[in-house]
Amino acid sequence: MVWQAELDELRQREALAHDMGGADKVKRQHDGGRLTVRERIDWLVDAGSFHETGAIAGKASYDAAGKLKEFTPSNCVFGRAMVDGRQVVVVGDDFTVRGGSADATIREKPIMAERLANEFQLPIIRIIEGSGGGGSVKTIETTGRANLPNGVGGGQLFNYTTLNLSVVPVVGLGLGSVAGLGAARLAASHYSVMTRSSAMFVAGPPVVARLGQDLGKQELGGWEVQCKAGGVDHAVDTEEEAFACARRFLSYLPSSVHGVPPVLPCEDDPERRDETLMDAVPRDRRRVYQMRPIVESVVDQGSFFEMGRLFGRPVITGLARLGGHPVALMASDPFFYGGSWTTDACQKVVRFVDLAETFHLPVVYLADCPGFMIGLDAERSATIRHGVRAMAAVNQTTIPWCTVIIRNAFGVAGAVHQPAGRLSLRYAWLSSRWGSLPLEGGIEAAYRAEIEAAEDPAAKLAEIETRLNQLRSPFRTAETFWVEEIIDPRETRRLLCDFARLAEPLRRPQPSRLQMRP
Amino acid sequence: MAEIAVSAEMAASVWKIEASPGARVAAGDTLIILESMKMEIPVESPRDGTVAKVLVAEGDQVKEGQVVVLLEG
Repeated sequence: MVWQAELDELRQREALAHDMGGADKVKRQHDGGRLTVRERIDWLVDAGSFHETGAIAGKASYDAAGKLKEFTPSNCVFGRAMVDGRQVVVVGDDFTVRGGSADATIREKPIMAERLANEFQLPIIRIIEGSGGGGSVKTIETTGRANLPNGVGGGQLFNYTTLNLSVVPVVGLGLGSVAGLGAARLAASHYSVMTRSSAMFVAGPPVVARLGQDLGKQELGGWEVQCKAGGVDHAVDTEEEAFACARRFLSYLPSSVHGVPPVLPCEDDPERRDETLMDAVPRDRRRVYQMRPIVESVVDQGSFFEMGRLFGRPVITGLARLGGHPVALMASDPFFYGGSWTTDACQKVVRFVDLAETFHLPVVYLADCPGFMIGLDAERSATIRHGVRAMAAVNQTTIPWCTVIIRNAFGVAGAVHQPAGRLSLRYAWLSSRWGSLPLEGGIEAAYRAEIEAAEDPAAKLAEIETRLNQLRSPFRTAETFWVEEIIDPRETRRLLCDFARLAEPLRRPQPSRLQMRP
Repeated sequence: MAEIAVSAEMAASVWKIEASPGARVAAGDTLIILESMKMEIPVESPRDGTVAKVLVAEGDQVKEGQVVVLLEG
């Protein structure tokens, strides 16, 4: 064969690339309980489906005869692959080569991965470890000059890191220590997962020590810190679980904003009635109840996929299916501040409805909101401005929307139970109660003169409260058609599946006007 | 015997103490009831054990993450 020698050299170079940073570094990676980037890709994607681009890019040295002597591959590995039968782009950092930092990355590799996702309209999964191709102070010496971030010709990766959020599903997996640009690429995802042994930070412990903060990696950027702060959405024990999360997240979404979410056959009866829903909400208004079992009960069995559980906890967000139709499901959690909207809950709502709008997912909201969070801490964190931002995000959506009021709807946050400027479907459970503001505390303010003039102010207060409570029945509201429908809670699943069917033809496979931000 | 710290998951005031030192509790039992936004929010025992110490009193303000009860066992 004429070209056998060249073919042999190609195979030899590919084999060298597969050695990554060398046996020692691979052993160190394994000893740390972590897979190599190539193992990660193999575990993540459908067996044998990875087609790599640029495997033999790296740094080489040659002997005097011009023969290849040594080769270190780039620490960015990327290509296309199948995930559950669908094409995706995978890009991963090889920590065994220079700890994943920029001086071994070859700048154009991660950029091409992002462009491949963007231009071929494919979801992208970023497997991030180290600085994610970010700079190292050593780079100053190796290049002989200091890098201006986003300097001339250097903006492309920064551009695609956020631009792709408006085009294709972006999943970030933080596996190991993730810092700097790596942290940025992880946080700039629609959905991010880290392992519990990983950590993410803008700058790691040695840098932070200069501030006088003597912290370990976990204390500084471990899963509890990041998931509670909303820096990362979810934490799992093993890398394998992280891959499963990535695959599951993608299963609810189209491959890009140019498609609609895939509808699957459904084995769960859309007419299924759950008797326990009649007892789900306690009659005693001060008592809380678990919302997640209600969510699990009304969606297709086992289809609820929660995201960001530890952040903005008065609000529950996730993806689910109704009669096989993917929806974005939002619900309140009365166990946290009674379900009132805190600053972080508002931020969670914004990001979540933006995700729904971007990928044409109809929204279902099981609402129990007594209002915005109140008190000095709430004012100090500008709850009201974050609150009206959430209201704007909801009002700006165009995807079909269905709300079920489970219990409370009070005040401005209560008003944000559906988009204000267009028609949505709305149902109220028998346990519903609402008002401009809650009676408790509100009565004292509104009836002050009457209460102060009474011989027994406490008795007067109780009398007024009883009087107003009699008027508070949701039936009086329905009688005036201020609410359109009060339902038997057991009908919820049937009505939501009905909504999902109504919504199906309304989903438009066109990019939203919205440009999504992380 | 391992000691387990049970924390308040949010800022709130302590409404009622249900756990008394020395009492046996099962996972899911209410140890303390917090009050926030006029709602009573239980702090539940994460596992079976014995109440070693209650670190707050009714009416106290607690912060998110503050340890409120120590369990043993």
